[in-house]
Amino acid sequence: MKDAVRIQQDDFSQDEEIKALKACSLRMGGIATFVGCARDFSAGRTVSQISFDAYGSMALSEMNQLRLDAIEKYSLLDARIVHRLCTVTAGENIVFIAAGAEHRVAALDACRWMIDELKVRVPIWKKEVTPEGDAWLTSHP
Amino acid sequence: MINVLFFGPVVERLGMRDCQIPCVEGMTLQCLHDQLAAIYPHAFEIVCFCAVNGWQVRDLSVELVDGSEVTFMAKFSGG
Repeated sequence: MKDAVRIQQDDFSQDEEIKALKACSLRMGGIATFVGCARDFSAGRTVSQISFDAYGSMALSEMNQLRLDAIEKYSLLDARIVHRLCTVTAGENIVFIAAGAEHRVAALDACRWMIDELKVRVPIWKKEVTPEGDAWLTSHP
Repeated sequence: MINVLFFGPVVERLGMRDCQIPCVEGMTLQCLHDQLAAIYPHAFEIVCFCAVNGWQVRDLSVELVDGSEVTFMAKFSGG
């Protein structure tokens, strides 16, 4: 089984991730997922590609800690975080987050919390390639 | 030596991904930051976070030792 927290170039399978999440406990009654994907338009500009840079070792450590924090904070049964580092075009997946809990409220709240925290805690940077030139994003809407 | 790493938007402004700075006894993270910021003000105007050996550090008075890996980073934008 793949690690619950990963940074990888290749796309992920949501079905495989959810299957892995469910495998940890039959007590899981609610699973919430978030998939972040590339848009073709941002801040008034057409975006043709998005590329990434990361402080890989720290990013992976932070993502692992983020998963543990979420499990503790929301009493989750399990959680998974996968972030791609490659060049993506519109519609392609970037990040997958899943939270599994006994009930839906904890799963939903934890999923939202994890993506919000990832954006401020994990050293990954996104660069948008546009016809007007490339631009690193330094905000996290 | 202190190994200094840069990523993403900071690399673009600096034109380099890393550099090595001689380690002086008692050198703090603040000293290193100020030393580099004086040379590369355009890059350091977007630096928001520092890390030492892979751990984010908010107290810039921390002393660096020979072989430390220091990173000066812009605001994150992953996800």
